[in-house]
Amino acid sequence: MNNDKINAEIRQSIVAIVKDDNKLKGIELQNQDGSLEILWTRSGESTDADWREFVAECGLSVEPAAPADTDSDRMVVVGFNSAGTIFHRTNVPDVGAKEIESIIKLQAETRLPLSPDQMEMAWRADHLQDGQVGVIMAVARKEQLQKFVDNVRPFEPTKILLSCEGIVKVWGAFFSGNKETAVVLSTGTHDTQVCLVENGRLSNAVVLDIGVDDFSTDGTVEQNETTERFAQDMSSVLELFGCSNQAELPVFVLSDGSAAYVSIVSSLRLAGLNARVALPDVNGLMAKSELSVEDIYEYRVPIGLALMAFDETTDELNIFKNLYNPSEKEVKKHWLHSPKVTCAIASVMLVLLAIVTFAVDVTGPKAIEKRLEASVSDTDMNQLVKRQQLIKTVARERPDLLDILKLVNESGERGITLTNLYFKKGQPVSISGQVTSNDQLSRFEKNLQDNKGIEKVNYTANMNAKSKRITFTMTFHYKNFTKKATRTRG
Amino acid sequence: MIDKLSKKDIRAIKIGAIAAVIIAVLMFGSKLHGRWKKAKTKGSELYAKLDAIDVDQIKQAGLMSIVPVIEMPKIEGEQKFLFRDKLSEQLKRAGIRNKPLQVQAGRKSPQAGYKLLLVKCNATCRFSQVLDLLARLNENPYLVGIEELKIKCDPKKKGQVDLDQVDLDLVVSTFAI
Repeated sequence: MNNDKINAEIRQSIVAIVKDDNKLKGIELQNQDGSLEILWTRSGESTDADWREFVAECGLSVEPAAPADTDSDRMVVVGFNSAGTIFHRTNVPDVGAKEIESIIKLQAETRLPLSPDQMEMAWRADHLQDGQVGVIMAVARKEQLQKFVDNVRPFEPTKILLSCEGIVKVWGAFFSGNKETAVVLSTGTHDTQVCLVENGRLSNAVVLDIGVDDFSTDGTVEQNETTERFAQDMSSVLELFGCSNQAELPVFVLSDGSAAYVSIVSSLRLAGLNARVALPDVNGLMAKSELSVEDIYEYRVPIGLALMAFDETTDELNIFKNLYNPSEKEVKKHWLHSPKVTCAIASVMLVLLAIVTFAVDVTGPKAIEKRLEASVSDTDMNQLVKRQQLIKTVARERPDLLDILKLVNESGERGITLTNLYFKKGQPVSISGQVTSNDQLSRFEKNLQDNKGIEKVNYTANMNAKSKRITFTMTFHYKNFTKKATRTRG
Repeated sequence: MIDKLSKKDIRAIKIGAIAAVIIAVLMFGSKLHGRWKKAKTKGSELYAKLDAIDVDQIKQAGLMSIVPVIEMPKIEGEQKFLFRDKLSEQLKRAGIRNKPLQVQAGRKSPQAGYKLLLVKCNATCRFSQVLDLLARLNENPYLVGIEELKIKCDPKKKGQVDLDQVDLDLVVSTFAI
């Protein structure tokens, strides 16, 4: 891991938004060298708060085409309220993940009153006992999930998490949740999320339709009814969770310290449950402004979701996996780097090259022919070619005899008498004559040899006893005319 | 309607369309290729002709200095007379009284594809007349070249030669069809 990545991780912050208690709540949690700091909190005033409006208020872009917010390393997660989600625990044989999935799907189809195309499901295996794997499955109506996705898609959250998982996470982190198995109650105004926690993870969950407001009614009779109903519901829930020893199982009621939560705990205790109040630990969190117990309680769900997002090892129940895939932040490459585009350009260029070559090959000669036709006829053209070829041939066949005579004359000194000159094509030129001395003859030979176009000068000499002069015959080659095998002359 | 088509049908249609395009390309392509080939051959012939005519000016000047005049070869009978007459005229002009010119059928020129006719000339004349003749021979439009030349003069006493009386044997050539 390089330093840049470490720095990026240190600076990372998470914006978590959730609809809790009919209000949209958002926070930004920053992880700085392992210490957590809440940068801001915000909650929608209206109960019908619109996601887009709220997200815009939180300073996030709601335009899908907007450039990615890469500078701040800010990740956005949203929570899905688990009210419409059914959780179910089951045990399956310890087989492969694929097999487990098909078993769970079958179970879900038989147990739930929905056809497979109407529901979405997520599951997670946990402990292994006696060759059986415990599995938690979460099932929800597809239509409901799709509606939620449509609401949040414009700001492209990185993850959609289940709120109840956030509750478990925040309980473990800030409500002293150190028990391996426990029941956690997150009480809202009108409902209560009951979560069974095993080994620090959500193991089952149910939503009860009794909230803090129900415990705050003025009438004693009504309150007693509520307390009784709540205790009964809780007993049923714990039975549903498969908790055999209800008296010993710790039940944590997340609280902001107000009296309402004390009465909830009291009612549960009266019903024989091991209930207790769980207050948030303010010291574990930093904030720009002073942070109270109430604040942490108010934003417990988004804080929990943000903590889940920080923890990359969390194996969350992703019920949205078939409906929402956050688009990857693609690094926009230059269009020239696309192989498809470059291949297409290359193909077009090749076709153009072929067309141009074809056009040049076809039209070029035609144009030349046209111009020639305008100036000379075809017959004239042929005659011109023949005439030019004839001139070239004749030039190669025509030796310059005057040049030979001139070279011979210039090479000889005074006193040399030439009597014969014989030239025949394909034979060496032969000259004969008389000289006064051998030196004179040698110089004559050398001078002749030095001339350009004259090669292989040889001579034979005889002394004429009568005239006391040397008679000689000298041969030499003149250019290519006197060479036998050569056809090309000149 | 497209919605009703199965994936197999769509694949078959795609393959059919590609095949149709390939057939069309091959049909027109072969025609075009033939045309292209023809045009290329014609073009190369034309360019070869142009190359033959279009000679560099300096080269052409060099050629013209060697061959200042030239007449296209005619049939053997005609060419023979034309060449002989012109040569006789040149000999006469040089003041050389020659023996009757002898025409010999020569070899066929491998380069030009013409017949080579040889005309033999024997004469006794002055050396200056020989030079005069050689200087003017290029003006003969039928001349191809000098095939053979023999100049002989008798030595006088004291290493002198008689340049007023030299024996000249000359064989010149011309092309004929």
